[in-house]
Amino acid sequence: MKLTKKISLVVASLVAVTAFSTAQADQLDSVIKKGVLNCGVVLDFPPMGYFDKENKAAGFDVDYCNDLGAALGVKVEVMNLTWGDRIPSLVSGKTDVVIGSTSDTLERAKSVGFSYPYFVFKFQVISKKDSGISSFDDLKNVKVGAALGTTYETEYLAYAEKKGWGKSNYTSFKSENDAYLGLYQGKVDAVISTNTNIATKLQTNEFKDFVAGPFVPNYDDVVGIITKRSEVAWMNYINLFLVHQIRDGKMNERYNHHFGSDAPADLIQALRDNK
Amino acid sequence: MGMSFFTPLSWNDSGFILTGVLNTVYISVVAVLIGTILGLAMGFLRAEANRFTNTLLGGVLDILRSVPLIIQLILFSTYIGAMGHPLNPFVAGSIILSLYTMAFMSEVFRGGFESVPQSMIIAGRSLGMSYWQTVVYIRLPIGMRAVFPSWLGVALSVIKDSALVSVIGYMELLRTSEQLISRTQQPLKILIGVGIFYFIISYPLSLYGKYVERKMAI
Amino acid sequence: MEYQFHWNIVFQKMPQLLHGAFVTLHLSVFAMLIGIVIAVLLAIAKMSSSRIYSIPATIWVEIARNTPALFQIYMAYFGLGAFGIHLSPYVAVLSALIFVNAGYLTETFRGGFQSIPKTQYSASKSLGMNGIQIYRYIILPQMFRRIYHPMTNQFVWSILMSSLGILVGMNELSGETQRLQSLSFRTLEFFIVAAIMYFIITKFVLLCASLASKRLFKGDI
Repeated sequence: MKLTKKISLVVASLVAVTAFSTAQADQLDSVIKKGVLNCGVVLDFPPMGYFDKENKAAGFDVDYCNDLGAALGVKVEVMNLTWGDRIPSLVSGKTDVVIGSTSDTLERAKSVGFSYPYFVFKFQVISKKDSGISSFDDLKNVKVGAALGTTYETEYLAYAEKKGWGKSNYTSFKSENDAYLGLYQGKVDAVISTNTNIATKLQTNEFKDFVAGPFVPNYDDVVGIITKRSEVAWMNYINLFLVHQIRDGKMNERYNHHFGSDAPADLIQALRDNK
Repeated sequence: MGMSFFTPLSWNDSGFILTGVLNTVYISVVAVLIGTILGLAMGFLRAEANRFTNTLLGGVLDILRSVPLIIQLILFSTYIGAMGHPLNPFVAGSIILSLYTMAFMSEVFRGGFESVPQSMIIAGRSLGMSYWQTVVYIRLPIGMRAVFPSWLGVALSVIKDSALVSVIGYMELLRTSEQLISRTQQPLKILIGVGIFYFIISYPLSLYGKYVERKMAI
Repeated sequence: MEYQFHWNIVFQKMPQLLHGAFVTLHLSVFAMLIGIVIAVLLAIAKMSSSRIYSIPATIWVEIARNTPALFQIYMAYFGLGAFGIHLSPYVAVLSALIFVNAGYLTETFRGGFQSIPKTQYSASKSLGMNGIQIYRYIILPQMFRRIYHPMTNQFVWSILMSSLGILVGMNELSGETQRLQSLSFRTLEFFIVAAIMYFIITKFVLLCASLASKRLFKGDI
């Protein structure tokens, strides 16, 4: 019976948790040994990660998980994470690696290990066509939303504080999806997100009355793959993997598939230069 | 590009929703079952133990009742992983939900054990019953019958609280529907469906609890 | 153990955490106070002999008691949003908590009211008391004593459930904790401190309640 099996699983784990020693294998070894790569992706961030209509994971980051799994010769389990789940999932060992468009801030690098950059985003505003937002300063008088705990939330709030706008016009959402749902419903007039996500949303019927607006001034969002900070050998492998993605043309292939054009030369160059 | 990010609900999704429903039922049953057994043991201990043990046990149970379940779930699943023993969301969720259930059940059962009049136990002993015989044949059946409505009340709240295990990634009903809402941008229909499901499970049971309570009061 | 705790960032961010705790506290106090007022009305409506009053009250109570709080918060935020009714995260969580508090407290009040024997009315009447006097001096004091403990429990419940604000991006203690951990990635540290803060808040509220009860009921409860 399935239920009794599940109950015994819980009981067994309770015993195991208390009984096990804390011996740790190197993560690269352990992934290869167990034959499975648990790869965390934020699946509400198209086209990097999303659910297709079969409720299956898809996107640029998901393809990168599969490429990494293929390089290692192991099966890939894609795990759906929210922005906030990314670190807990690594720390708790639920994921071996998170390919989840994680901005490589120095604050975060105190806690997790970052790979070389694998993508660069621009932060942008999306709003209704008639909202008349043409420069970033036009956000002063409208209701703005973004996903909680993201770099663009921090950037917006810092900008708003500098300009003395206050926080009363700002709404956080638990996830990227909730932010777009809030925009769609009219809870907020504008959402700050990444240029890539906005571009894909604008192609859909739901967002046909919306338009991509100004960029967040002077900010490039450089993102990396993250692992446990202590897994240096594992990170070396991932860095080499990223070099190969570009060298072997995989990066361009994936980009083309998800963005409908070749990867811009300056993006490729920036990644080659590890900027 | 030829792909769509927003697609309406379809019959393909019924299997997906059903998985969510079953997962909610699974984790609720597991938590109520384990929580009841542990709660019974803990309630008995608390009714019997001396003051010192009681304060100690009471303190631990108090923490489980005074910290939000959502925080307990996040902390436990992160901590246990940081110690090097990652657990899948079902197991981690079941452990915390069971302990949480235990904390509330122990109070229910303690009340049940203490509700049995001392004179009955003395009568049992004078008939030649051993201590454990009075526990099994007198205190358990009489005490437990008295607390059945409260037990049901706790069990119902655990079924509802199981929705929180979604925060550590368990694909129960609410997380399943959230994923569908993201894909369809249609929160209302899906949310109402979820509400009806919980209501259908919970309402008849709560009616039954009230019925038993009334019957016992007479 | 391989995890190294970094506590200094938590101390740096303490003002934000304390602000979150303050939001949690006033959110749950409002949810309780308004919930009590509505529950009194609902209890009266539910005991009314007219179905126009009793049926809507019963529906409110049963939905509040038989669906998860998480569902009600989503409903208040995105469900109402589908009708173009846009509550701020604070108001959405507040309304959901009020909705549930009112539902549970209605049953508490009704139970308290019905627990007073009917003979007391006739006894008071025969002593020459009028309706208001009977309630003021006989019924309400006894009733209040009986519902005091369940009311305290409900208050603790609303403090704990206000943590669901995390799911609509609110700035109460849990939401603030989630934001701080996702900017710094120090999950354990921030959530441990949040757990301690919740524990202190609930203990503080229970302590106040028990001190108040000693004054109100001269110690016997």
